Amino acid sequence: MKSVWKNRKRLRAINTAALFLTPALLFYALFIVFPLLQSLVFGFFKVDILGGEATYHFVGLDNYRAVIDDTVFWQAAKNTLVWAITSPFLEIPVGLLLALYLQRGTRLTKFMRVLWFMPVLLPQIVVGIIWAWIYNSEWGALNQILKTIGLESWMRAWLGHPDTALPALIVVTTWTWIGFNMIILLAAVSSIPKDLLEAARLDGATRVQVLRRVIIPLIRPVIANLMILCFIGKMKVFDLIWATTQGGPMWSTETVATYTVKRAFYWNTFEKGYPSAMATTWFVIIMAISLLITRAMQKKDTLEY
Amino acid sequence: MNSWLRKYQQNGGLVARLAETLLMLGYTLFTFSPLAWVFTMSLKDTATIRNSPYSIPLDPRWANYTDVWFTSNYSQYFINSGYAVGLAIAILIVVGAMAAYAFARMPFRGSEFIFMAIFASIMLPAQVLLIPLFQLLVKYSLINTLTGLALVYVAVQLPMAIYILRSFFAQIPRELAEAARMDGCGEWKIFWKIMMPIATPAISTILIVNFVALWNEFIFAVIFIQDESKRTLPLGVMKFVGDVYEDLGHMAAGLVISIIPVLLLYVFFSEKFIKGMSAGAVKG
Repeated sequence: MKSVWKNRKRLRAINTAALFLTPALLFYALFIVFPLLQSLVFGFFKVDILGGEATYHFVGLDNYRAVIDDTVFWQAAKNTLVWAITSPFLEIPVGLLLALYLQRGTRLTKFMRVLWFMPVLLPQIVVGIIWAWIYNSEWGALNQILKTIGLESWMRAWLGHPDTALPALIVVTTWTWIGFNMIILLAAVSSIPKDLLEAARLDGATRVQVLRRVIIPLIRPVIANLMILCFIGKMKVFDLIWATTQGGPMWSTETVATYTVKRAFYWNTFEKGYPSAMATTWFVIIMAISLLITRAMQKKDTLEY
Repeated sequence: MNSWLRKYQQNGGLVARLAETLLMLGYTLFTFSPLAWVFTMSLKDTATIRNSPYSIPLDPRWANYTDVWFTSNYSQYFINSGYAVGLAIAILIVVGAMAAYAFARMPFRGSEFIFMAIFASIMLPAQVLLIPLFQLLVKYSLINTLTGLALVYVAVQLPMAIYILRSFFAQIPRELAEAARMDGCGEWKIFWKIMMPIATPAISTILIVNFVALWNEFIFAVIFIQDESKRTLPLGVMKFVGDVYEDLGHMAAGLVISIIPVLLLYVFFSEKFIKGMSAGAVKG
């Protein structure tokens, strides 16, 4: 008798939970899971879409073999990886230095903090156009500055040359995201108990030692989170390139995102199997590397403040 | 100020402190000067920009702004973005909060797994979803509509929203719901009448994070929206820049118009923005 009552109660609880969860699960199934599975399946087919009608021919691993033979894909993968690996080492250290400065709270810091964070709020399209002007070869700010300080030989069309275009764009994402990393690191640094730092100082540790031996180990989980966040973000870079170089010159700024979109919607808009295989490959690589980073950084707990 | 820091500052020496302050001011200039420069450009005509790109516009050409506003479709772009983002956020908050409440307060076997599965989708690159979503939207005649775009936005932003709201609901004392249950309230009523009002801070975080993310969203919009009359703001900026190519003064004015609303909001609510966006990120 008691267990029947209990069962009924549990059933009702499950029903209520289902009621609350259904809308979210519908969105998730329809717009995320179903498309993801479709992409996985499409990768094994030649998918031709003509006049709204799709025809499918099973081709096995052909698309994946073609991806492996596609030199542009590898170029794009290399560019994206360079971007995703260098960015964390630019954004996070600079962000940490800025956070350490702000933490001391001088008169200027409140103002600086707000200004430093601002670039994150701007659309990358607009950021891209502005920076394309900064890099402009004739009247761009960078060349003007180089001229003023006597480095005329360094002046060039920064986005127009395969050697400089990618680094130039990496600088733009770094400019955008440093302030964001700074805010998170500032919160982490501020949460370190003050007596700990004081004790270290009293024991005669230099400022650099305090940073290396006390601060960084304590905020390691936060740094790990930021690294993964930064890495995943850069593995998806798209907008900035679309607004500036569109992958050029000579594929030097092509990323996997831009190349996939070009293949799927701009080059040959009828065949969807190949770009699906490319997108799937990249997704698997992102997941694998993210897991590796998490493993490497181990001790992953979240920061609460 | 903490004493160890004070001590450092005493020991640090005037020169070091000065150098440090200069460095930080330099960085401030680095973040801010691109915008300041574009703003000065927006008040000059193209010939002046070409001749002296860095002069301060002593005779500001405010006409650039009225020209751009009245000859371009910016007003339409703002309306379109407002509609897509507003609709997406409204649905997101209701759907996300309901799910988050269930995950926080009605655990059942497998609920943790479902939650993790949903959360893992923040790793998905857009291009894995683009092709099938395009076909799906075509099938239901939602392609090239702002409503279709908004629905995709809800799905993409849902994991983060659920994550933030779940941890918020989990902190609310259980006694609150118990008391209401004693008074004969059903779960549905408890959720809407008690939980949602309490969750206002978390909801405002969701509002800010998603406003910034979706207002600037580009990749889904550029693929799913084709009509000029349905362009969202970032697509509109691209179109506008293409139209007035070489006309730098108007181009700059157009860029400034596109970012002014967000910057104004930021000026008034900077702390809320900073807090909201960093909450969204760290929890991710």
